[in-house]
Amino acid sequence: MTKSKNLLDLDDADKTFIEALIARARQYKQGVPNENIRLRGRVVLGMFFETSTRTTTSFAVAAQRLGAAYIDFRTDGSSLAKGESLEDTMRTVRAIGADALVVRHSEAGFPHALARYFDGVVLNAGDGAHAHPTQGLLDAMTLIEEFGDLKGRRLVICGDIRHSRVARSSARAAWLLGAAVVLCGPPSLLPPVVPAWGFADLATELDPLLPATDALMLLRVQKERAQADELPPYEELARFYGLTRQRVDLLPPHAIIMHPGPVNRDVEVEGELMHHARSRIERQVENGVYVRMAVLERTLGSLSRDRVA
Amino acid sequence: MTSSNQNRAANRDFVGARVVDPSLKLDAVRTIVVRKGIVAALLEDAPANPDPDAERIDCGGMVLCPGFIDPHVHLREPGDSQKETLLTGLAAAAAGGFTAIAAMPNTRPPLDNPELIKRLHDDAAALGGPRCYPIGAVTMGRDGQRIAALRGMAAAGAVAFSDDGAATGSLKALYNAARSIADLPHPFLSHCDDHSFSGALMHEGIVSDRLGIPGTPPVSEAAIAARDLMVAQATSKAWHLCHVSAAQTIGVLRWAKTQGVRATAEATPHHLQCTDELLLGFNARWRVNPPLRSAEDTAAVRQAVIEGLITIFASDHAPHTEAEKEPPLSHACVGFSGLETAVGATFYALPEVALPTMIANFSTNVATMLGVPGGTLAPGAPADITGLYLQRPWVVDPKRFHSKGRVTPFEGMSFTVKPALMVVGGEIVMRDGEVRGERLAAALPGLAIS
Repeated sequence: MTKSKNLLDLDDADKTFIEALIARARQYKQGVPNENIRLRGRVVLGMFFETSTRTTTSFAVAAQRLGAAYIDFRTDGSSLAKGESLEDTMRTVRAIGADALVVRHSEAGFPHALARYFDGVVLNAGDGAHAHPTQGLLDAMTLIEEFGDLKGRRLVICGDIRHSRVARSSARAAWLLGAAVVLCGPPSLLPPVVPAWGFADLATELDPLLPATDALMLLRVQKERAQADELPPYEELARFYGLTRQRVDLLPPHAIIMHPGPVNRDVEVEGELMHHARSRIERQVENGVYVRMAVLERTLGSLSRDRVA
Repeated sequence: MTSSNQNRAANRDFVGARVVDPSLKLDAVRTIVVRKGIVAALLEDAPANPDPDAERIDCGGMVLCPGFIDPHVHLREPGDSQKETLLTGLAAAAAGGFTAIAAMPNTRPPLDNPELIKRLHDDAAALGGPRCYPIGAVTMGRDGQRIAALRGMAAAGAVAFSDDGAATGSLKALYNAARSIADLPHPFLSHCDDHSFSGALMHEGIVSDRLGIPGTPPVSEAAIAARDLMVAQATSKAWHLCHVSAAQTIGVLRWAKTQGVRATAEATPHHLQCTDELLLGFNARWRVNPPLRSAEDTAAVRQAVIEGLITIFASDHAPHTEAEKEPPLSHACVGFSGLETAVGATFYALPEVALPTMIANFSTNVATMLGVPGGTLAPGAPADITGLYLQRPWVVDPKRFHSKGRVTPFEGMSFTVKPALMVVGGEIVMRDGEVRGERLAAALPGLAIS
C-alpha cells in the first residue's frame, strides 16, 4: 500500500512507510503549527457498515483538526442497502464531492472493492477479519513511545487471532519495526502454519510466555462475528487466555498491557486491570487520533484537487 | 433440409486420421466409414471404390476419437439467460469439441419434474449440435428434503440425478431417493460440501487465513463424499462424485472402491491446476465451488487421475456475466466458463497421462457412467466423433468464446491440444473452431467466430 494513494491494509507496507507515519503522528501529538488549514475544503466520508464508536470518532476528530469536513454516510438506509451497485454508489459519492472514504465493513476485501470504483482516497477502518491498518499504526506508535526501538522486543497477541483484523495489522506493523511477535490462542483460532503470515510465532499456552513478554495485547472476543460453532465458550477463552491479576504478576515489571477496545470486562481483561499502571489502553485511543491525522494528511494531501467528478 | 439430404449428409468417410478408441483398444490410422449417422466400419485403408453418395473428409494430422461427453454443464436455462442460453451453451460445447453434454438441474426453476426435463431435452434436440442429456434434481426445488419425481424424470429423458450446487441436505431424503429407483441404472451425482460451511468464500488454508476470509476446509467435501458413498453402498446404486477438489476426498474414494461401491469421480481443469493463491488481492473472479484449494490438493487430484482413481473429466461449465463476477467476494457468483477450454486445459495439466486414458476419461468412461450412447466407434455406434490436433498451440481468448460466460482462469494461457473437429450422428458440427452444424450455426448470427 505504500505506493497507493489508499490505505487498505499493511500487507505491502515497509518499515520506512510506517516509521514516517508514526514520526508525523508524534509531531502532531507535540503540536504542529496551522494544522487546521492543512486539509481545508476536503470532505471525508465515513462509511461504517459495521458499528464503531472509537474509530469513527477518532477519524472525525482527526479530519476536523486538519480542517477537513467529516460526514457520516448513513449506511443503514443507504442506496447500497437498497441494491444499488458499488460502482453506482461510488459515482454518487464522487459527485457529492467526497475526497476520502473511511470504510468499515464485515467482509474482508470490501474497501478494496470500493477502491476499484473511487478515484479519491479509500481508508480501511476495518474489513472483516482482514485488516485494520490505522489500528496497526497506532499500536506501533504506542510501542515506539514505550520502548523507542522495537528490536529485541517481544509482542504477544492473545485470544481469537483467527477472527481478528487487529491482530493481523498490529502484528505486521510491530514486526516491520523489528519486534518478535507471538500469537497465542487455542489451535482452532490460530493461523495454520509457522511462521504465521510470514513472520509470527504461535503458542497455545499463555502463562509460559509471560515472563519474557514486553507487550501483551489482549484481543476483543468478537461476539458479533464469531459463532458458537466456531469458538469455544468465551468463559473458556477468558479462563485460559484472559488477563487476570495472577497473569499480570507473571509479566516483567516493564511490560505493558494493550487492548484495541472496546473491552469485554472480565472476559479478556479483569475489570480492575483496565486502569492498571501498566495498561496503555487509553494511550492507544489517544494515539489513534494522531495516527489518523498523519494518514489523512499523507493520503489526501497528495490528492489532486481538480479531479473530474 | 429434406430427409434425403440428411441421409446423404450423414454418409461420410473420415480419412487419414490416427484413430484412438480406448473402448476398442485401438490406436492406428483408420478410415471411419459413416453411413446414415452410424459408424459402419473402421477400415485400414481408404475405401477402394468410394461411395458416390458419401462425402470424403480429409482428417490428416488429426486424432479422431469417440465423441467427448461433458458430464457437468450449467446451461442456465430456464431462468438465467443473461448468463447463457441453450443456444450459446451448446455452441460452446460444440466449439470445445464435445459431442454431448449433461446439463445440471440447478436452473431457475430447477429441473425437478418430468415436464422441465422433457422441454430441455426437446429444445436442445431442435437446435441440433451436441446431444444434451438432462440431469434431474434429487429433491423438489433442490430443497434437500422432499424427494422429486425421479421415475417420471427418468422416463422423460433424465440420465442421472443430482442436487448439484449443494449437497442434498437430508441424509434420509437422499437414502430414500436412491432406494426409490434402485431398480433403474441412473446414477446419482454428488456435489460434496457440508451446509454448515455455506458462509465460506474460499478454501480454508494459508491464503484464507492471511486474508481473513471465511473458508471451507477439505473435510467439508470429504465428509459428504463419505456420507454419500455410504448411501451408495447401502442402496447398491452407482454413484459419482462431482468436481473432486481435496486430497482427503480422494482417500474416501479409494476406501469406497475397496468396499466394492460402484463409485466414480470427476476432475475439472481448474481443480487439476489452479490454487487458492489466485484469490490473493481479493479477486472475486476466481470464486468457484468447490473452491480452488492448495497446491497439495491439486497435486493429489492429478495423482488420482494418473493412478486411475479419478476416471472422468468434467468442465463444470458455470457461465456468468462480467458484472456477476465483480467484487466484493460475497456478491460474486461462483464458477467459470469451461466448455471451450476444458480439452486444452486438461491435457495441459496432465502431460504424463497416456493419450488413450485421456480420451477414455473424456468419452468412454463418461458414457459408461451416465449410461448414454457413445464412448465408442465400434460399428453400429452413433457416429459421434471428436477430432483433436495434438500439437497446435493456441491462446485462450475469452472474447472469442461462443459461451456468454467469459471468465476463465485460463485466459491468456497457451495450450497445445486443440479440438479440431466435432461430429454428431455423422453431421459435422464444428471444424477448426467454427461451429457449422446447420441448425445450430443458423441460429448463431455473428457468434460463429472461427
